[in-house]
Amino acid sequence: MARTRDWLAERLPLDAIQAAIDHKTVPQHRHSFWYYLGGMTLFFFGVQVATGILLLLYYRPSATEAYDSVQFIMTRVPFGWLIRSIHSWSANLMVGAAFVHLFSVLFLKAYRKPRELTWISGMLLLFITMGFGFTGYLLPWNELAFFATRVGTDIPGAIPWVGDAIVTFLRGGPQVSGATLTRFYGIHVAVLPAMTTVLLGLHLVLVQYHGMSVPPSVEAQAARTGRPVPSMPFVPHFALRDLFGWMVALALLAGLSSYLPWELGVKADLFAAAPAGIRPEWYFLWTFQALKVMPGHVLGIEGELVAIGALSLGAIAIIVLPFLDPNTARSRRIVNWFATVAALFMVAMTMWSLMGGAE
Amino acid sequence: MTNRRRWEVLAASALWLCATLIMAGIMAGMMAEVMAEVMAGQNRAPATPAAAPQVPAVVPAAAPVDPVEAYKEDVHQQSGVTCASCHGAGAPGPIARTRIASLCASCHSNPVYMRTFRPQVRTDQHSQYLTSVHGQQMAKGETRVATCSDCHNAHGVRPVKDARSPVAPVNVAQTCARCHGDGNRMTPFGRDPAVYDDWSHSVHAAALLQRGDTSAPTCSTCHGSHGATPPGIDSVANICSTCHVREAELYQSSTKRVAFELAEQPACLTCHSNHKIVHPQDAWIDLKEPALCATCHTDDMAGAALIRTVRTGFDTLTTKFDAAKALLDRAEEAGMLVDDGRSALREATEQRVRLRVAVHAFAEAPFKESLDLGVAAADRAQQAADAAMKELNFRRRGLALATLVILGFLLTLAVKIRRLPPPTSP
Repeated sequence: MARTRDWLAERLPLDAIQAAIDHKTVPQHRHSFWYYLGGMTLFFFGVQVATGILLLLYYRPSATEAYDSVQFIMTRVPFGWLIRSIHSWSANLMVGAAFVHLFSVLFLKAYRKPRELTWISGMLLLFITMGFGFTGYLLPWNELAFFATRVGTDIPGAIPWVGDAIVTFLRGGPQVSGATLTRFYGIHVAVLPAMTTVLLGLHLVLVQYHGMSVPPSVEAQAARTGRPVPSMPFVPHFALRDLFGWMVALALLAGLSSYLPWELGVKADLFAAAPAGIRPEWYFLWTFQALKVMPGHVLGIEGELVAIGALSLGAIAIIVLPFLDPNTARSRRIVNWFATVAALFMVAMTMWSLMGGAE
Repeated sequence: MTNRRRWEVLAASALWLCATLIMAGIMAGMMAEVMAEVMAGQNRAPATPAAAPQVPAVVPAAAPVDPVEAYKEDVHQQSGVTCASCHGAGAPGPIARTRIASLCASCHSNPVYMRTFRPQVRTDQHSQYLTSVHGQQMAKGETRVATCSDCHNAHGVRPVKDARSPVAPVNVAQTCARCHGDGNRMTPFGRDPAVYDDWSHSVHAAALLQRGDTSAPTCSTCHGSHGATPPGIDSVANICSTCHVREAELYQSSTKRVAFELAEQPACLTCHSNHKIVHPQDAWIDLKEPALCATCHTDDMAGAALIRTVRTGFDTLTTKFDAAKALLDRAEEAGMLVDDGRSALREATEQRVRLRVAVHAFAEAPFKESLDLGVAAADRAQQAADAAMKELNFRRRGLALATLVILGFLLTLAVKIRRLPPPTSP
């Protein structure tokens, strides 16, 4: 063992890495719990990669074979049902963990200088995660996913001049078809993973480089008392607690996949009428509902266009938030207000949609 | 609270949460199974009689119409027929009821003239009418019976294909019932005015009026339209065989047909009645009251053995079918994909339908053939359900084992975290 380490140390900067690990600490205060959300999201991403690769071995990305191949995975492949259910459940839990991570970072003001790039890479990773969800949802080629994708890809069509071109680009044609499926498959298993690799690498390097951010309230308290913020070693103290959370998540995934296996639904029929109750995945529900309840026209502009514009502006604003917030006590209060209103709006719209809002 | 103590509490809470989640999952699974059992029990409960079809109970009388207004949408008006064509020159007056049929026939029985409007139009309506009870009574001067305008209207005549026509398939029964459902009109002729009410409770009315199946029989399908007359005993089986082809084939070649003819029984109607034809029940076939067969057959009669065989066959298939279905439902409720089982169950259902048809052979051979195929399909469904339940139990045992391993690892982690030296302040 020692000889192997020595051999590697001659070729790799193992000692430097070891020294970095030994010296790495994590601040310990009343908000430390939220530090685990990033790791939790990373854990679910790891599960997605592992199960996704296994699904790739049997999945066939064509309109004629996709549904049957997923059915084959669920019924014939040993433990195929478990892998597919874990992949679906883990995807949803990952999105949930990512959203909680986003809001915790937002409320704790961890995006402040010098962590602007960490924030931007994180936001882009969240959008990519939602892209994974949107493209992956169609892959089983079932009725619900087919019609939800038709509705989802229809939305950019309201954008003037370039709307139709975007819809055609997304669908690989004027309608959702087999071409859309293969396109989504390519995006899901190649384009998005490649982008994730780069951004996630950057995000993790930046997190390691800057260390965990200490919330302004904790910093102020430390300044008042003159005592430094306590910390714990990353290894083993923080890492073991992280592992503890991951194991709880694994138990949860196993339970959900065994007792509530992800449904396959009915095979998509391109010529059938859209069934009632078409809805996207839960994390798109608030957007879906906001677009649905938008009036036909607002100040003479098409309502759908206004909603798309507002959502796009909101997305851009939140990406560049570190540059908009001058980091004063007043600006922090304003950000908290905005974040609270945004969170309440998302929850309210989601609940409204779940209750069959304005059908 | 020290950090060490805080982490102990956190670790204990996480363990508690994990255990609670697992317990909740197991409880939810058990509840789902119990619910599935209860639902399956409900499914096994004796079927209640089907609700009567929703048809208008009161037959509306033909509303008085303004002849001029009604004629604007009349098919004759669109074909260039004028008032004078029927009423003659001068002020139009009423046409005697005894003249109406022959007046209509002056055009409608003329193939050369009618061909100018539609190449394949019928021209035998009047000759058929003359053979009908209506036509024969009218010929005797009985003007209370129906003539052309009573069913087709006088001035608002529409094509039969038009759903607003009183003789469109969905309206025929109500049109007939204007007279045949009226006790005051029927009593002088010694006719039963309950026929419309009876028909409205039949499977045929349900198919036509509830499901909109215009191929389902209404009055004119069995009695004829222009040549309307009650079918005689000899022709009943022929009329039913128009739609129920396989049943009629089996019946015609059965010994039962000979027996019914000797006993002057009206073939199909003996068991199914005429207007109030309800959905057949497997329970009709038995030697004990109130089964239908028991009306004529007793234990010691020649056909008793066959009745017992058929009864046992139905019971066997139904028992196997219900058991397989209940187990497949349970497996599906628990999240298993049971497409193979469902496919076998569909085949068993198809064979059960064939079995019910095969009864009309009044012989064992065709019945046994379908019974064997149906039982084999139900057995395959049962095997698929058993395999699904076995797989389900395997998954649950696997989950329990995996949970135990994870719990053990979590406990080890908690102990390890507790034993870590307290972090030092910078």
